[in-house]
Amino acid sequence: MQRQTKLNSEEQAQAQQQTGAQQTQQPAVREFATPEEMLRHDALHTPVPPTVAHRLRESIAKEPPHAPSWWRRLLGGSKP
Amino acid sequence: MNVNAAMAETKQDQSKAEPWLDSPECGALYADHARFVFYLALRMLGDEAQAEDATHDVFLKAFRKIGLFRGESNVRTWLYRITINHCQNCLRKWHNRNILSNADDAVWETTAAQTDSPLRVLENKELGHRIQTALDGLPAEYRLLLLLVADEQLSYEQVGVLTEQSPDAVRGKLHRARKAFTVLFEQTA
Repeated sequence: MQRQTKLNSEEQAQAQQQTGAQQTQQPAVREFATPEEMLRHDALHTPVPPTVAHRLRESIAKEPPHAPSWWRRLLGGSKP
Repeated sequence: MNVNAAMAETKQDQSKAEPWLDSPECGALYADHARFVFYLALRMLGDEAQAEDATHDVFLKAFRKIGLFRGESNVRTWLYRITINHCQNCLRKWHNRNILSNADDAVWETTAAQTDSPLRVLENKELGHRIQTALDGLPAEYRLLLLLVADEQLSYEQVGVLTEQSPDAVRGKLHRARKAFTVLFEQTA
């Protein structure tokens, strides 16, 4: 009787292991109550490619400096 | 104006010119909002490379004009306005989207779909593709509405301002947009 119980528990453990393996192979099923909830989840898992910040930095470096305003140039011109 | 004075002034102005992305103001602007701007551009344009370009262009425009931003509206709303205009201009030029933009609402009304039931999906890389396919099938107005309402920082009033309609109209159209999205999303399975 004891042996039978042990066999049963081994079988159960084996079955649990198999189920666990199947669960890890299959992607998890998610439920979303609304499309917005799904979009929020998707947005959270959509990172901005790091190239954007890199390109932005390069573009900024190429930007011309702000030209002095006309009145500044005018006032600057009147200085001795 | 003598040359030395002009050069000195230019140098002074250069030193005053913002190093932008490295300035705390612009750095914080990018850190706080880039993800939302990129996602909106990605789902409006449906192409990652074009969304990257759009995000770059939007922030460059924003940094140029940050001195003109008076804080009368929410920063996110201001950035979304620039993003929407930019993406709509791109779409007008490309003419490669809006496949079902003239679709009649009756299409969604006559399609049997359980809009109250949850949307079940397998969490894998296909999710983004399925969402994009469903969004691409929506009229442009519904697509934009869903994307904006999905941002929890925006109120219906702010979504209304961005889409040029009343908050009540937003609420009304949102119901139809949800239903249309659900129908299209289920078709992508």
